[in-house]
Order: sequence, then structure tokens, then C-alpha cells
Amino acid sequence: MVDKEQTLAGLERAVVSGKKADSIKFANDVIQSGIKPLEAIDGGLIKGMMVVGEKYAAHQIFLPQVLLAADAMYGALDVLLPHIPREAAAKRVEMVIGVVEGDVHDIGKNIVKTMFTAAGFNVHDIGRDVPAETFVTTSKTNNAQVVAMSTLMTPTMDSMKATVDALVEEGLRSQVKIIIGGAPTSQDFADEIGADMHAVNAQDAVAKVKAAL
Amino acid sequence: MADKMNHIERAMAALQNQPVDRLPCYPIACGVQRKLLNNGAGITYHEWATDPKKFADAFIAGQRYFDHDFAIGLMDLSVMAGDLGAHVRMDEQNTPFVDDPVIKNIEDYEKLQVPNIKDPKTRSHVLVEGTRQFVQELGKEVITAGFIEGPLLVLTQARGAEFVFKDMYDNESSRAAVHKALATITEFDKELVKAFGREAKPAGLVWDYLWGSYSCLGDTEYEEFEGQHKYAGCLNELTAKEGMAFCVHNCADLPHLDTQVKAFKPAIYSMAYYPLIPGSPSAKEVIAKGYSDNCLMAGNIDPQGYVRWSPEKMQKVTMNLCNEVTTALKAKGLGGRYCIASGCEVPPSVATKLENIKMCVDTTKQYGTFA
Repeated sequence: MVDKEQTLAGLERAVVSGKKADSIKFANDVIQSGIKPLEAIDGGLIKGMMVVGEKYAAHQIFLPQVLLAADAMYGALDVLLPHIPREAAAKRVEMVIGVVEGDVHDIGKNIVKTMFTAAGFNVHDIGRDVPAETFVTTSKTNNAQVVAMSTLMTPTMDSMKATVDALVEEGLRSQVKIIIGGAPTSQDFADEIGADMHAVNAQDAVAKVKAAL
Repeated sequence: MADKMNHIERAMAALQNQPVDRLPCYPIACGVQRKLLNNGAGITYHEWATDPKKFADAFIAGQRYFDHDFAIGLMDLSVMAGDLGAHVRMDEQNTPFVDDPVIKNIEDYEKLQVPNIKDPKTRSHVLVEGTRQFVQELGKEVITAGFIEGPLLVLTQARGAEFVFKDMYDNESSRAAVHKALATITEFDKELVKAFGREAKPAGLVWDYLWGSYSCLGDTEYEEFEGQHKYAGCLNELTAKEGMAFCVHNCADLPHLDTQVKAFKPAIYSMAYYPLIPGSPSAKEVIAKGYSDNCLMAGNIDPQGYVRWSPEKMQKVTMNLCNEVTTALKAKGLGGRYCIASGCEVPPSVATKLENIKMCVDTTKQYGTFA
């Protein structure tokens, strides 16, 4: 007999310690024992990622540990998400995230994606070096409420403006909150290109988007 | 105000903590200086980053136009990964970058081999030869330096940073594979150090030790995968042994200053400032905390300013930084131990305003004095 509290604690522990095999095992225990997957996500995975986020912000752990924790979370999510009832899944905020065209630096984007996933968003990761049209079509297809884009390089900052312009042209602008990030960006730049907000890190991004919705 | 020292006198005085006529200045203008070639029409980044003569010509043209105190031969951060076999994408006017890593799985870490950098087809050769050419032309006017990527930076370019970071701690065999690759890249770096020291002969060599950042790695992780007692330590020693001043550039946020300044003991350390990131040290904090006591610190104008600001704003920012720095240096009883510079490379974008680079240099000449 699987104990619910122990299983959720196991999931949390697996995420915090970055043990993907363990998180998958506990996720399978969740399914087999009839624990609601959403409870496991909230009470295990998200709880674990929150601990990871806090420790990272406090410089108690660093990128390698965060990335392994994210892997552990995604491993369990792969098991749990197909079992979430459709109506519950539909309540999640749809978000599109990508690195803009001309840039392939995606480590920051991946951390941001992880934190939004942990915060309960349904994140559509369209990868790196993404043309404006792909942001538009993915936003349209998924009824996105949030578009997040990043770049690490100066020359590709213009691709952010091109993406905002494309969302405007397609009539999607009023439906989405647009957040940008990456070393060369700033709130001034966000204002200049018509984005809604800028964040300096993943936790800042989650807090700002949540407040804006 | 007219300069009372020449560039080398000023830089040497600053390095030795002697009085200077004004603060030294070097906006890290490298790729952007290609815009001065071809009678001002510029050349593509690809042309600049693959032809030693054009690479050198841009630094020479930049020196004539801007009148810097240093010349530092940064090309881009995909030179060594490209020579290890990663595919480098070269857009016309964008900094080249790796778009297809050479290490795709754990086994590939062990397959890395030190390339033959004498081969003219390698960009390492272009870098060393290009550096040699501008050193020959400018070496008697300014302090020149080559620019080289540290082993962990090269590995993250060759594999992808996210994979490297995970492989460091995923399991013992992946961790061992990361170390094996770092050892190979360290040998590659040693070959390059010797080539710089024996062929190009710059006064200094600037190491990019980007991952020494508390946003990325802690002290323990950094020590294990690059640190003073690991790969970086022997490379830093070799740099001095080959007759070049050992220098470091790290434009990451929250740099490991105790390790990279106090333990590594570079002659020059250049860094960025991120006002939005809690804990990012400003110029005055860096000086107050003693990092300028034994090192010429350099920074920290926002590189974006060279693209986006008006010349008037660049002047104001540079004036403020000069004032902040001279006040802090005086309080510590130091000479010219801070170089007014950009926090990272001046963006090599076509949109970068050359007048802002000139404004930064000219403003430092006027307001970087200790009067």
C-alpha cells in the first residue's frame, strides 16, 4: 500500500536532490495508487521546485543542481500530466516561450520555463532561434495568454521587436502579456518595443506575470 | 584637458599603483571596429573573424580613430569550440556562435582532440596571427593583449552549457567525462598560450573565465571545474611564464572576485555591473572592498549604452563613473587603479554608435583626472 504523504514527500525530495529516476518512480506510484496527479504536482513537484528556487536565490545551490532538479520535475510530469482530467488541465494558463530568431543561448529560457511550469503554467517551449511567425502561430494555436522571449545577444534584440510587431499585426496583442528577459534587455527596452514587462530572473518573471494576469 | 602621459606611461602607472594624469580608458571595442575599415563602409563579421590582416587592421584603425589606452584582441567566444569541431554559425553582422555542438553525448567528451593551431584554416591561427599583426603595429603605443577562452567556457560552447552543468553532477562517469574534456581543452589552451607568447608577443593575455559567477556556480563547483588548483591555475602560471601579463575578463553577473582577483592575482580584471541584480558590485564597492589594491580593475559602463544612448547620455554616464571611481580611489589612497571600460564587449552590431565609443574615451580624458 502506497502512503500518500510519503509519496508526495518522496517526489519533493527527488526534485530537490535532482534524482530523475526517483521522481519517475514516485510519479508511477502516484498513478498506481490512485492519488490525484494534480495533488502530486502541487504537493510534491511544485513544492520541491519552490525549495529549489529559494535555495538558488539564496546562493545555497547553483545552476547544476537547479538543472538536475528541473530534469527530475519534467521526468515526473511526463508520467503525471497525461492523467490530469481535461477540465483541470484547461484551467492552466497557456504560455509560449522561446529564444528569438538569431540566438541559440537558451539556458536562461529553460530555467524560466521550469519556474513557470512549477508555478502551474502550461508552457509551450518553442526552443531557440525562433522566427516571429512561430511565436504567432504557437500563440494562436494554444490560445496563449503569455508570450515570453529571451535573448542574450545585442544584435538579436531587434528580433524581439519583430515578434511583438508580428503579434500586433495578427491581432493577438491584446490577448497576451508579453515578457522579455536576457542580459542586454531592460524594462526601458520592453517599453520601447511594446512588451509589457521585463524580468531579471526566473522568479521575478513568475511574480510579474502572475501579478499581471 | 590634454593628456600629460602617453598611453603606455599611463597604463603602466595604473598597473603599478602610481599617480596617473587621468584614469585609463578602454571601451572593449573589438568587432565593432570593423566598421572603420573599407573607407568607413565596414566589412562583415565573417570577413573580420576569418582573416588575420582584417582582424588586425580593425584594431589599428580603432586605435587611430578612438585613441584607446589598450588594444585587446577579442574575436568571439566560439573560436576554440569551432576548432574542436563544433559548427559555428557566422551571420553577416552578428557575433559568430556555436549552433551545433561537437559533444553530443557522454562518450563524445573523451573524443576531443587538441587541434593543430598552426593550420591556417583554424580560427585559433587567425586569432594568434591577427594579434601578432596588431601587436607589431601598436605595441609601442599602447598596452596590447591577446584574448583567450578558459577551459570551462570552451567546453560549454562545445557541448552546450546546460548539458555540461548537468553532466558535472549527474553521475560519477559523466563527472569524470567532463574532467577528461577539461583536461584536453587545458592542453589546447596551453598550445594557444605558447603561440601567443612566442609568436604574437602581446604585453598581456586576457582570459575569459565567464563561469566564475554565483548565478551559475558556487565556490566548490568553480574550484572543481576551473579554479585556482585546477585547470585555470596552471594556465595562469603558464601565461606569466610565457612573458605575458595575466589578465581576466568576466562579464557575468556576481563574479567570483575573491577567487578571480584575490587568488588568481591578475594584473587587470575587467567586469560588468548589473544594477538590477541584487549584490552586483558597483565600481566604488569593488574599490572599497580592496579588489583594486593589487589589480587594475576595469568596468563597468553598460555595453548597451553604446548602441542605445545618445552621445550626451554616454558623456554623462562616463562622467559619473569617473567621479565615482576617482572618489573611491582617493578614499583608499590608490593611484589610477581603475580603467574606465565597458562591462563587456561593445556590441559589434552595425547599430552601435561609434560616436559613443569616442565620447567615452574623450570624456575620460577630460573628467578622469584626480584634480
